[in-house]
Amino acid sequence: MIVALAQFSPVLGDVARNLDFHLEYVEKARRAKADLLVFPELSLTGYKLRDLTAETAQDPRTSKTFATLREASRNLALVVGFVEETPREKGLFYNSAAFLLKGSIFHIHRKVFLPNSGMFEELRFFAQGRTFRAFGTPRGRAGMLICRDFLHLNSHYLLFADGAEISITISAAPGRGVSGDDGFATSRMWEAMGETVSRLTTSFVVYCNRVGFEDGAVFAGGSFVFDPFGRRVAQAPYFDPDFLLVEIDPADIRRARQTMTFKRDDKPEVTLANLERIVHRDED
Amino acid sequence: MKINAAFVEKILTAFIKEELSKCGFKKGILGLSGGLDSAVCAALAARALGPKNVIGLIMPYGKGFGPDLEDARNVARILKIDARTIDIAPMVDAYFKKNPTGKPLLKGNKMARERMSVLYDWSAREKALILGTSNKTELLIGYGTIHGDLACAINPMGDLYKTQVRELATHLGIPERIRTKAPSAGLWAGQTDEGEIGLTYAELDDILEHLVDGRESPREVVARGFTKNRVEKIVRLIRGSEFKRQMPPIAKISSRTIGHDFLYPFDWDK
Repeated sequence: MIVALAQFSPVLGDVARNLDFHLEYVEKARRAKADLLVFPELSLTGYKLRDLTAETAQDPRTSKTFATLREASRNLALVVGFVEETPREKGLFYNSAAFLLKGSIFHIHRKVFLPNSGMFEELRFFAQGRTFRAFGTPRGRAGMLICRDFLHLNSHYLLFADGAEISITISAAPGRGVSGDDGFATSRMWEAMGETVSRLTTSFVVYCNRVGFEDGAVFAGGSFVFDPFGRRVAQAPYFDPDFLLVEIDPADIRRARQTMTFKRDDKPEVTLANLERIVHRDED
Repeated sequence: MKINAAFVEKILTAFIKEELSKCGFKKGILGLSGGLDSAVCAALAARALGPKNVIGLIMPYGKGFGPDLEDARNVARILKIDARTIDIAPMVDAYFKKNPTGKPLLKGNKMARERMSVLYDWSAREKALILGTSNKTELLIGYGTIHGDLACAINPMGDLYKTQVRELATHLGIPERIRTKAPSAGLWAGQTDEGEIGLTYAELDDILEHLVDGRESPREVVARGFTKNRVEKIVRLIRGSEFKRQMPPIAKISSRTIGHDFLYPFDWDK
């Protein structure tokens, strides 16, 4: 199975131009015989939208942009990032990821953990998702996360417990912290977590980050793929655009889970019982 | 405080290139003082845009600052950028002839704003975007003239302490003479930054890094062994200069107000 990551710089607020970029990458991925093409967070709109959030929102079931993307997903799974607004919840905007394949929407994940401190202000503009759910694909069970979701322990556990074999994270992570080392300090944080999560969940961990500048923020790139043994099988450069291709073997999931039996030995009911206690407990 | 200068160069040259292209500009323009910051900014711009697309404006006040004029011309020559010299004395003198003052700070600020005015004029003449040369140290303590040297379209070096700018300067091959001379705002003859601020940049940057990047309280910084009155002075300077780092507040009257809830990105439609 060939995975492609489009580490690129979306144009802020310009859905039409970004759609063109998407179609160019789809064509590249098609030529490379890729099975899955992953774009970064908010790949159709750019990240620092502020009041452009409402102006760039899409209903993926009816929008022309998504009709084009669904058409492009006939023979290639696509993960795209966008601002979601549906007729049922007018005026509520979600930072969402869509998994498209065979012309249909397999799954939509709405970002749950919206960063809202320091340089981030997502809660000011976005509604919060409530669900982590793995979903079936012809190539196995997948789960999606968006940027900050990845940095919360429970997101990974829920996808793992729900049977995900490949977790796909789309990201618009700015680089922060320059020292004597190469790249940003935050890039090493993402990589360390990617490795750890792939080991803990014996799953493929696919991470696609964007590059470019928005209002001075520097998106750090450094997209990567870890296999279920915690081996880094692909790594894009920091900071520069890249089209990363990697062949992964889904049979590695079975091999890894025979060796490290975390999935077999997991006890979600113990987790649940303890969470019930922790969430509802009276004061000690 | 240490930086990977090659990585920082890569980010900042890409920043200059991308911001200019977003704004529809090919050329950048900046004031060249003969000092460290403008030399580093010019070097970054020359690498980002090509030397032919960078204009250095050298704006002496009369013949008062001879050695700096030479250094500024030298920087332009070494970097192979286009340089123009414009004497601001006639404009500044004409003003103070009618509105005399004995205060060097007033004169200095007027000169800084005269240079800004000339820069913006040449920015329009040459279709060149103005690159700011303020570093993180002077932005934090407010060591700059509002609407003077602080005025610019983009500020590539605003997140680098002076100490880090010096490190970057070495990497960029800025001549030693410029890297080692005493930094000066050049508002009057014999003025040096460190003399005026009352601290060396090394100590100032060290304290700022603990306060700002490390989010330590002044008390915690003093507990590290820094002199109490110096730490307190820096805190005072930071607080007292916030107005130089923000757009002026707008009184909110309507239901949607610029800066309050009319919130678009700077890079809107670029």
